[in-house]
Amino acid sequence: MTVYESDLPGVGKKHEIDLDDGSRLVVVTHNTGKREVFRRASEDADSEKLFELSDQLARQVGTILEGAYFQPVRTGNIETLLGGNTVLEWVDVAADSPLAGATLGETNVRQETGATILAVQRGEETIVNPGGETVVEAGDTLLAVGPREACRSFASFVRDE
Amino acid sequence: MAADLLALGELFAVVAVAGAVGLRLGLSVIPLYVLGGTVAGEFVLGRVGLPYVSSGEAITLLAELGIVLLLFFLGLEFSLDRLLAARSRITRAGLLDLGVNFPVGVGIGLALGWSAVEALLLGGIVYVSSSAIVTKSLIDLGWIANPEAEPILGTLVFEDLFMAAYLAFVSSLVLGGESVEATLGNVAVAFAFLGALFLLVQFGTGLFQGALDVSSPEAFVLRVLGVTVPVAGAALALGVSEAVAAFFVGMGFASTEHRERIERQLTSVRDVFGAVFFFWIGLSTDPLQVVGAVVPLALAVALTTPTKLVSGYYSGRTYDLSPQRSVRVGVGLVARGEFSLVIAALAAGGTGAVMRETIPALAVGYVLAMSVLGTLLMTQSDRIETLVLRRGAGSADSS
Repeated sequence: MTVYESDLPGVGKKHEIDLDDGSRLVVVTHNTGKREVFRRASEDADSEKLFELSDQLARQVGTILEGAYFQPVRTGNIETLLGGNTVLEWVDVAADSPLAGATLGETNVRQETGATILAVQRGEETIVNPGGETVVEAGDTLLAVGPREACRSFASFVRDE
Repeated sequence: MAADLLALGELFAVVAVAGAVGLRLGLSVIPLYVLGGTVAGEFVLGRVGLPYVSSGEAITLLAELGIVLLLFFLGLEFSLDRLLAARSRITRAGLLDLGVNFPVGVGIGLALGWSAVEALLLGGIVYVSSSAIVTKSLIDLGWIANPEAEPILGTLVFEDLFMAAYLAFVSSLVLGGESVEATLGNVAVAFAFLGALFLLVQFGTGLFQGALDVSSPEAFVLRVLGVTVPVAGAALALGVSEAVAAFFVGMGFASTEHRERIERQLTSVRDVFGAVFFFWIGLSTDPLQVVGAVVPLALAVALTTPTKLVSGYYSGRTYDLSPQRSVRVGVGLVARGEFSLVIAALAAGGTGAVMRETIPALAVGYVLAMSVLGTLLMTQSDRIETLVLRRGAGSADSS
């Protein structure tokens, strides 16, 4: 998935991403923080402005789009790129996972995989920045951060692959 | 003191009204500020016998600050890395723009029997497009999200860079006076001062970074001014273009981490003094003199509009844009504005009637005309595209 980035001197930055229907989404981020979102139906067409958002609103909408408020049915890997090679990864803990019932300290996740666990989601509850003595239960969702390879080995580690 | 304060108050009142009008009608405020100054000044209100705003020392000084801040912000946006990254395309488009438009202005000046320096001034005035007006129109029309935005903005970046060199050179000529030695001496001093400043900017990023490492917004703003204004003032005292000095200071801060913060916290300051500058230009303009200069004015408008269209079209083609979008690049660059007025202000400080009166009056008329024409052409761009392309297709068929 290619994101085209270009500088708009005096204005800000422009990012373009191809949508599935062949059109292109163009996001202009102004230096002032305002975001303008356009859609360009085809190469020759003009960009049509869809809407604009203030800085605060843009972050909020972005968070919703990102899936932080609601994670739809999992269709496989959900990968969120933080920049460079750093990824956020959500992994479910199944009943037969080596982590189920153990504390984070016992499983030594960081040493084993290189990924760091940021949070443990349990139903409605979220334990942020869990310590070594936090017990992981079956049915939890673990949020890990780290280099892509580390997160992949973390996912395999949890699923006992 | 009281008279000065009142004059300043009238200035801000007029500028506020002009801004409101611009907002209402969706027009760029720059020409409105200039018009406001002309109307409120001695040549319009004064002639009718009504109390007018006189251009005193106070307003002139604040206008000077406006020039400094306008150019400072330009330098802030200017990134040598960005220029180098896209250098071949920007250079090609920029040189096209320069090579087509600048000589036409110089030619008009020489044809009118002006001196070389006066012709050079006119060349600069008609060559440089208004970054402020063009960028605003790009955003208003949504073109900012289209491919044609890149060559347009790229050309503006090239023009900025050329303007820095041009202003440095021409201001030495203008302020230099009559004798060749004095002028050469001035040019030497200018390049020495600016050269040293440029080296400082390129290699002293740490200094610029450290100077602004403070969290208090008040201290931050004061420090930015505390660096920019003294440098500009020192430049002016040495007979060097204070505008270029401010540009380089802006460049110095551009590569620090403070760039966005400077933009956020100082934009209002720049806008206030920028408005004073445009008003002040209008104040010094006699509409009768503009009318008196109508022949060169009409000539300039008639000749330098198609030149921008042509240079813009071929610039678009060097960016691999379709003919349709390339026409847009030309249309987008027609508007002239703040930079031409800065050159006019420079000319007003020169010698001889042409420099001091004709050129500034011409420049104001020219900017008013071209800002309107430029924005108009952009909104009518669809018609122009069909017109140009149909004719182009017609001539291709017949050949």
